[in-house]
Amino acid sequence: MKIFRFISILLLISLFSPALWGQSKKDKQPREKAPLLSGVGVGIDLCGLAMKGVGARFANMEICGRVGLKEKFFPIFEIGIGDCTRNGGETTNVFSTRAPYWRIGMDYNVNKKVNGNRFLVGVRYGFTNYKYDFSAPDFEDPVYGVVSPLRLEGLKGNNQWLEFCLGFETRLWSIMRLGYNIRYKMRTLQSVSELGEPYFVPGFGKNDNSCFGGSVYLTFDIGKTANLKGQKSLFGKRKKKEETKNKEQNAPPEDIAPRAAKRRGG
Amino acid sequence: MKQGKGLIIAFFVTLAALFGCDTIDCTLDNTVVMRCSFFKDGNAVQLHDLLTITANDTNIVLLNSQRDASYIKLSLSYFNTEDTLVFHVTGDRYELTDTLWIKKTSYNHFESPDCPVNMFHHITEVRSTHMYIDSVTITQPDVNFAEHENLQIHFYSSAD
Repeated sequence: MKIFRFISILLLISLFSPALWGQSKKDKQPREKAPLLSGVGVGIDLCGLAMKGVGARFANMEICGRVGLKEKFFPIFEIGIGDCTRNGGETTNVFSTRAPYWRIGMDYNVNKKVNGNRFLVGVRYGFTNYKYDFSAPDFEDPVYGVVSPLRLEGLKGNNQWLEFCLGFETRLWSIMRLGYNIRYKMRTLQSVSELGEPYFVPGFGKNDNSCFGGSVYLTFDIGKTANLKGQKSLFGKRKKKEETKNKEQNAPPEDIAPRAAKRRGG
Repeated sequence: MKQGKGLIIAFFVTLAALFGCDTIDCTLDNTVVMRCSFFKDGNAVQLHDLLTITANDTNIVLLNSQRDASYIKLSLSYFNTEDTLVFHVTGDRYELTDTLWIKKTSYNHFESPDCPVNMFHHITEVRSTHMYIDSVTITQPDVNFAEHENLQIHFYSSAD
């Protein structure tokens, strides 16, 4: 599974690069200087909601708020609720938890153009205090044959972790932006009940020393760079117009090639 | 346009990675047993006599006709605060019975909903009768996955 995720991430990175590098060559617009406070954004993670909607065994539903500085630095605060109810595949055991979590961090926009697209690398520090339940209705002493249902409730846990993010976002329409990122998460601190570790940590994911995660953010950006000239929306009319203009300007004259051929070959 | 296509493809790749299959990592060596080593005159020995151990309150046979054992592994009960084990030792010229009482506290241990739940123990007190057993000492009170030596059972040097 880890190999599959690693390959997915490599694919993802390979998909980022051509889009960005290709575009930087094509766009020959003059650079626009972004103001110090370039915008304020509020976003919601669609991935967590989708996972909850399709009945995934766990989901992190979160919103974020961020500030844009010079269109380069984006201090960000994320808050969410992690929810998990997991039934054992071959057992009747059930693990469940639901608790809030917080992350603070910063994104850096690698894209040098102020054209609406952002290629973001970032870091987050996440923390959560939570309670988790574990039950085993068929808990049996295998030697003495005594069955006594097990129900452990309100076990306390506390986790902190570090995240490295790689993401891309683009302007969809007006102040609406769509972006996604993948995250490599490293646990830095864990304090859990001695009875057993939680299966899932809110905000982190499946409990381990490290794991991968991701989010798809729909963000509403308000600020000076939200509607700057030259910014392209993915599904806007302006893009089509600009494309047709570019085609007209860059189209080579039709008669050049045939004339050259005529001169050479007669 | 290429950018838009790349965005959409990468979006679905991300979804596939997030919703991908999962692995179950349960501890393979997941038996919880109390390990008792045998001693005579301060030295580790093999017990050449025939040894059978039963749980006194249920008559469950925990160890059946073991010979030449230098140590034994016994399961403790999950829900009793004290286990009573009866040692039946049968030699060439004798047949003796000793009782061993083990007081303990037990607590659950779980790893994942997919893995079986275990019970760990902490031995607090051990006492016995002295027909064949001279003394019993606790060397490691915690009984868990790590199969440490928990008890040293010292037998009399001769049963005669």
